[in-house]
Amino acid sequence: MEKLSQVLVFVSLFAPLVSFLGICFLGKRLTRSVAALSIACLAAASLSAIIVAIRSWNIGGLIEIDWFVLGNISFDADIYVSNQSLLMLVVVALISLMVHIYSTVYMKGDRDWKRYFAMLGFFTFSMQGIVLSDNLLFLFIFWELVGFSSYLLIGHWTDKPEAGSAASKAFVLNRIGDAGFLIGLMIIWTTHETFSLSAILPSAANHAWQTAGALCIFCGIIGKSAQFPLFTWLPDAMEGPTPVSALIHAATMVAAGVYLLVRVFALFTEDALVVVAAVGMITAIIGALAALSQYDIKKILAYSTMSQLGLMILALGMGAVDAALLHLLTHAFFKACLFLAAGIIIHSLHEAQSSGSHFDAQDVRNMGGLKKHLPMTFLAFTVSAASLAGVPFFSGFLSKEAMLTAIFVHTNAVSWLIFAVILSVSFLTVLYSFRLIWFVFFGETRTPQLHITEPAWAMRAPVLILATCSLWFIVSPNPFDASGWILNSEPTQHSMWITVFSSLWVIAALWLGWYIFRNVPLGTNAFFRNAFYVDTFYSLASSSIQRINSATIERIDKQIIDGAIHASAYAQVIFAHVVGWIDRTFVDGSVNAIARLTGLGGKFIRSFQGGNIQLYIFWSVFAIIIFIIWAVK
Amino acid sequence: MHSYHALLYLGAFLFCTGLMIVIVKRNAIMVLLGIELMLNASNLNLVAFNQQHGPSHDGQAFALFVIIVAVCEAAVGLAIILRVYRYFQTSVPDEISELKG
Amino acid sequence: MNVVSLLFYAFMSTAAFGALAILFSRDVFKSAIYLLITLISVAALYALTYAEFLAVAQILIYAGGIAVLIIFGVMLTTRINGRPLSVQNKHLFSGAIVAVGLFILIIQYLPDAPVSGKNLTPDGISPFAMTVFSRYTLPFELAGILLLVALVGAAVITSHLKPKT
Repeated sequence: MEKLSQVLVFVSLFAPLVSFLGICFLGKRLTRSVAALSIACLAAASLSAIIVAIRSWNIGGLIEIDWFVLGNISFDADIYVSNQSLLMLVVVALISLMVHIYSTVYMKGDRDWKRYFAMLGFFTFSMQGIVLSDNLLFLFIFWELVGFSSYLLIGHWTDKPEAGSAASKAFVLNRIGDAGFLIGLMIIWTTHETFSLSAILPSAANHAWQTAGALCIFCGIIGKSAQFPLFTWLPDAMEGPTPVSALIHAATMVAAGVYLLVRVFALFTEDALVVVAAVGMITAIIGALAALSQYDIKKILAYSTMSQLGLMILALGMGAVDAALLHLLTHAFFKACLFLAAGIIIHSLHEAQSSGSHFDAQDVRNMGGLKKHLPMTFLAFTVSAASLAGVPFFSGFLSKEAMLTAIFVHTNAVSWLIFAVILSVSFLTVLYSFRLIWFVFFGETRTPQLHITEPAWAMRAPVLILATCSLWFIVSPNPFDASGWILNSEPTQHSMWITVFSSLWVIAALWLGWYIFRNVPLGTNAFFRNAFYVDTFYSLASSSIQRINSATIERIDKQIIDGAIHASAYAQVIFAHVVGWIDRTFVDGSVNAIARLTGLGGKFIRSFQGGNIQLYIFWSVFAIIIFIIWAVK
Repeated sequence: MHSYHALLYLGAFLFCTGLMIVIVKRNAIMVLLGIELMLNASNLNLVAFNQQHGPSHDGQAFALFVIIVAVCEAAVGLAIILRVYRYFQTSVPDEISELKG
Repeated sequence: MNVVSLLFYAFMSTAAFGALAILFSRDVFKSAIYLLITLISVAALYALTYAEFLAVAQILIYAGGIAVLIIFGVMLTTRINGRPLSVQNKHLFSGAIVAVGLFILIIQYLPDAPVSGKNLTPDGISPFAMTVFSRYTLPFELAGILLLVALVGAAVITSHLKPKT
């Protein structure tokens, strides 16, 4: 790789970190310079990413950096530069830049302005780290950092308790997945003796070990990308600010899981891929059904994200690696645009309700007929939603068609089930997108007394830019053929039929949606709305486990520990009494005995001079006896 | 004669008994009694030895003078006891003392 | 075993028991009487070992003089209040040790007492008188002086009649 490209890669990686560090050392009152610094750094990052992508397209390489040597094992911190990583680099930097610009208006007047922008920069740095890392250990470090930044950003509004608990839930569920990731790392180390992906991926190991390692890494992906069963954190993560949701939970962090799966795809054996496909399927269905049943606009979008991620994972499970990555990229753009547009709606409603009544600005039932009030937002929202639904002439249509084609080629025993799932999910996608647009923008205004206007240009511009990126020419010049700039695949004979069929399918779904939602009021099913009650089950299980745990520990503490302490106290008291008795009896006794003996001795010796004549006689006779014995014998 | 040794044993016995009376009894007159007994025991010894040693009567003469001295001593002793009794109002030897302790 | 031996042992046992009786009795009067018995027994023993003069002198002097004297002394040194005068014992253990020790000690040497074959013959009192007045004239005279001195002394000691109380 040439020097300039290396330098640009470093700039793209470290510019957001510079933003983070710089903001940390800036004063608190300098709100405008904080925003300026962060936007400048992100612009530099985006620019360098784009330049590197253009220069090094199809010329991959490895920037080698030695980290440390342990015995005769050396750990490297190599940077992986290839088409995949360059694309992700550009997408992450661009969307982050859009979110930064948008946040300058959305978060105006916020108390923790500095912390917000600092963490946005840190998050971007960590995400780029995941994209560029060639060493699995380093990737894991950045993986954790991304989770940590997400925790701080979801819980940004510290005086909202729901935000704190949502952030904790996100972190905990991520952590559960990461436990599996760690086990996977250990397995890979055992079988390959290195963490460097460029060394691991070409080689193959024992089938059972490989499957186990791949599935354990997949656990981490389940946690990060909100797949079944670790998805319950994603709807709750909507407690954070909307730009954060746009950046993290639509475009980048949840996509990190999919990107990782693309990277380590070579490790996955046939059996592991079956599990992957199953998980993706279940997630897609649950997400689509739940999105159809929500009232909160952000939750609709969150479940939609979950469903689309499920589709990507399913595609990967069927072996369509490039198509899944393409869908990831297009999804990033249109989902970020959708979130930011939703943020405009929420922001405008908040601005408008400053006096008088207070209602939930995120509830769809409070919106309606906003087409006339927010025309530009309506345009961007519709474009992105159409791309999500897979309407022709939009990028989403192309990426979905790429996925379908790749899956169609690679058939197996349960292909019919997978096709049925994909078709129903795309049908439901169209339905809920239509429902969303219909109830927000069309119809009568349910809050007519409010004066709602378009926000500042700093908010509208990113939305419009992202909407433009959701059109077809991002992917390829031909609106009906996915292979263009990005994807190179041979068109098979089935691809034409698939294109036609999917277009007709979408049109049918649109017609059905118009028919249903035109007249029928806005009712939902509680089972779908609560996402099959998975979240409720988790909270009940964990709380009951906690209760049993704490009761057991309390019992142990009271009986065993307190009992031991009481017993030792009793033993101490008894010991003290024994020692006292010994002291009184033996020590004092011996002292008294000595005194008494001395007294007796004194009395005895004194008796020699006592004036007792008979004693004198006694002693003299005694002496005479002694003398006789000694002298005569 | 076989009675020679027996007399000596008796003499020893009387002497020791007299000694015990002197030491044990708490009356001055009893002490005098004991002394008399001891003197008699020694007299008995003298007479026994005299019997063994032929025609000389030295032992008996000695014994006679012992008796005489014993009489003198008993008389004077009793006089002293009477005098002391008048002074101390008691005839217990332990209490006839002005020593303290 | 003839009468002489029998008498011998009888008087020896009398003397021994009398001495023990003095030791064990609590009454001064009775002790004086037991002493009398002992003295008379010893006099009988003198007589049986051919020391006749000594036997008579013993009875005359001891029994007739000293015993009576002792009884007089007892009378004069008691406060007669109807009860017999009882004597306590003290230092029994020490007295016993010494007396028994001395007895045992003496007994060790008794069997070695020299036995010569020359026994005394019962010749009567005149050889004894001859010995006393020829060989022991000076002690005899001195004995008389001693008796005089003792007499005078005893009289002097007891002459002051004023009690010091």
